[in-house]
Amino acid sequence: MKKTVCGMLAAISVALAFLSFTGCTPKADENQHIDLTIWTHEDKNRTELEQEFIKEFEEANPNISVNYVTYPSGKIKDILVAGFAANEGPDIFNIEINDAYPFVTNGRVAPVDAKAAGYKSQKALVGAYMDKMLDPVTLDGKVYGLPLELTNWCVYLNKKIFTDAGLDPEKDAPRTWEDVMAVSEKVAIHDGEIITRRGFDFRYPYYLISWMPMVEQLGGKLVSDDGKTAIVNDDAWLKALTYMRDFGPTGKNLGSPTYTAARKVFDNNQNEIAMSLSGLYQEQRMASANPDFFNSSDWMVIPYPQWKNATKVEPCHYYGHYYMVNAQKSDASKKASWKLLGFMLSHSEEYLKKVAIVQPTKALFESDTFKNMPYSDVFKADLEKGSIVYYAENSPKIDSLLKTAVESVMLTGTDPATALAELKKNVQDVLDEE
Amino acid sequence: MKFFRKLSFEQKKARWGWYFTLPGLIFFALFSFYPIINAFITSLYNKKLLSLKKPSFVGIANYVKILTSPDFWNSMKATAIFTVGCFIPLVVVCLLLAVLISTRQRFKRTMQMILYSPAVLSSVVIALIWMLLLDPRGIMNQFLNTVTGQTGIDFKWLSDTHMVRFSTILVYFWKYVGYFTILYITGIGKIPNTVYEAATIDGASGPQQFWLITLPLLKPTIVMVSIMAMIQCIKTFSTQYMFTQGGAPLGPINVITLNIYNTAMRDLKISRASVMSMILFFIMLILTSIQMRVSKSDEVTY
Repeated sequence: MKKTVCGMLAAISVALAFLSFTGCTPKADENQHIDLTIWTHEDKNRTELEQEFIKEFEEANPNISVNYVTYPSGKIKDILVAGFAANEGPDIFNIEINDAYPFVTNGRVAPVDAKAAGYKSQKALVGAYMDKMLDPVTLDGKVYGLPLELTNWCVYLNKKIFTDAGLDPEKDAPRTWEDVMAVSEKVAIHDGEIITRRGFDFRYPYYLISWMPMVEQLGGKLVSDDGKTAIVNDDAWLKALTYMRDFGPTGKNLGSPTYTAARKVFDNNQNEIAMSLSGLYQEQRMASANPDFFNSSDWMVIPYPQWKNATKVEPCHYYGHYYMVNAQKSDASKKASWKLLGFMLSHSEEYLKKVAIVQPTKALFESDTFKNMPYSDVFKADLEKGSIVYYAENSPKIDSLLKTAVESVMLTGTDPATALAELKKNVQDVLDEE
Repeated sequence: MKFFRKLSFEQKKARWGWYFTLPGLIFFALFSFYPIINAFITSLYNKKLLSLKKPSFVGIANYVKILTSPDFWNSMKATAIFTVGCFIPLVVVCLLLAVLISTRQRFKRTMQMILYSPAVLSSVVIALIWMLLLDPRGIMNQFLNTVTGQTGIDFKWLSDTHMVRFSTILVYFWKYVGYFTILYITGIGKIPNTVYEAATIDGASGPQQFWLITLPLLKPTIVMVSIMAMIQCIKTFSTQYMFTQGGAPLGPINVITLNIYNTAMRDLKISRASVMSMILFFIMLILTSIQMRVSKSDEVTY
C-alpha cells in the first residue's frame, strides 16, 4: 500500500509538471461586457487622476468596467513577469522601457490600435508625438505602446547652500564634471569620515540612465555599432571609472550609494545636499514634501554637466514608462484597452499639472502649462539634445554589471582598470549569448 | 479473492493511518514534490520566462553552464560564508541564552518575549530598519564611535566587502536568536527535574550539570535547531536583496537565492535559475542527511 500510494503521488506530480510545462494559452473571451484590468506602479497623485478618468470613461462606455490595481514600483516588474509567465497578465500595464522591451520582443504586447485610441491612422498617432519618442516601442513599423511619461534628469541646485559655502549659484553652478568635483569639495562638510553635507551625489543605481552619458561624452560606447563588441574606447571608460573612484568613499569621499538618496534629502532643504539629479516630476514631489522650499527662490535647475574635453554633447539619457496592452487578450478587450488608453492619455496637460509627468506630445510641449512649469525649458533643451537609455532584452543584466563595476571602484577599492577588464568580459559574455 | 480477505486489527489500524496522512501527502505532493519535479524538468530545457516559443530540450547543458560560471561559485562562496558565520553563532548563543533563561526564577517570560519579538517582523521590514541603523550617519556608527571613544569613523557597514557580509549576518542573527532560543527552552523543559535533583544530591556543580546532563539530554533539540538554522541560513534572501537595493555591493553578498532570483526575474532565464535551485536542494538534502545520520548514533531516552 505504502509503495502504491507513494508511486501514485509521484506519478501525479510528474504528470502535473509535464502538463504545466507544455501549458496552453487561454482562449479569448468574446463576451459583450468587457472587464479590463490595469496594473500600474504606485503614485498617489496619478492614481487619483487616472481613477477620475476611468470613472468618466466607464460612464461614457457602460459596457466596459475597469479594475485599476497599483503595486510598489520596485515590485511591479516581478509581478508582471510572474503574471505573464503564467499567461495571466493584465489587459493593460506599464513598466520602465528597460524592463518592458522583453515584453515587446517576446510578442507579449499588442500593437496600438490607432483608431480605437482616437487617431485617424498610425501616421497621425506617430505625428502627434515628439520625434524619436516612440522609437523604443516601434518594431517592424508597428508601435507597441503609448508613453505614460518620458523623463530626463537635470541637476537641482540649492542656492542657499551654495551661498553658505561662499559660492555664487549663478556664476559657480557647475557646467562640467570637473566643476562638479571642485564645487562638491567646497560644499561638502565631514565629521571625520562621515559626510554630513554633500555637494552633489549621483542617482544610484541607475547607471545606464545617468552614468553612461559620462562615458559617451568622452567617445565611449557600451556596445559597438554592429552590436558585437562590448565596451568601446577603454580610455573613456577608464576616465569615467576613475572619476567615480575619486568621488567615492575610497577617494575624496564626496558621496556614496550607501547614503540616503540625494533627491530625497534635497527636497527637505535641511542643509544636507546642494545638488541632486532628478526629473521635472521632482517639482511636484518637492511641492508636496516641502511647499515653502518649492515656492521660494532658493533652488534652481541646471543642465546635466559635460566633461571639459567632451567629444560629444550627451545629456542624461531619457527613459520612459509606456502603457502597453496584453496581446493574449481577446480582440474586443484589446480594442477597449486602446480606447481607454487613448482617452486617458489625451489629458497630457492634466498629467503635467497634477502629477508633473511629461507625455511627450507636440501639443504638450507647445502648451502654456508646460512652458509655465519652473525650469521646463532646461529639461526640454536637454531632452532635445539627448538620446534614449540603452534598451534591449539584456539591459537589466547589463545595468547590474555596470553597478558592480562602478560600485567596486567606489566602495571596495578595486582598481578602475581591473573593474573595466571584468566589466568588458562580462558584457561581452552577455552579448555572445544573444 | 485475496483483496477481500478479512483484515487484521493491525492492518486496519495501518489503513486508517494512511487515510489520515493522505491529505498531508497530497498537500506535500502538490506544493513541494510537484515544484521540485517541475524545476528539474525546467532545468533540462532552455526556457525563458516571457517567451511564447516552445522551449527546446538541452539536457545537461544548463548544468554545465552554471557549474563553469564564476558567478555561481561566487554565490556558493557568499552562501557558505553567510551560513557558517550565522549558523554556528546561532546554535551556540541560543543554547547559552536558553540555559540562562531556564535557570532564572524571575522575568523568564519577559526575557523570552523580548528575545522572540524580532522573529514576528517580516524580513523586509527588518532589513529596512537595519539599513537606517547602518547608514553612514546612522546609530550604529554613532554607537561604536561613542563606545570606542572615537569621532567620525565610518565603519562602512554597507560598503566594505567584509563589513557588508558581517552586517547581513548580524541582521539575520538578530531576527532568529529569539526563535531558536525558545526552541531550546522547550527542549530543556522536557528534561525531567528528577535528573537534576539526583545530580544535586550527588554533589554535581552547575557547570557539571550543564555538560553532563543538559547537553547530552538536549541532543535531539540541538540536532533539530542546527538543521533548521542551517536550512534557514542557506535559504537567506530578503536581507541581501534589500541591502543590494539600498546601495550595498552585490558581489560579497550575492548568495545563491539572490542569484536564483536575479537569473529568473531580471534575466528571465528560468531554466538556469532552476539548475541553481536543484543544486541548492541537493546541498540542503545532503547536509541534512549527514546531520540526521550523525545524531541517530546516540538517541536520547529518559
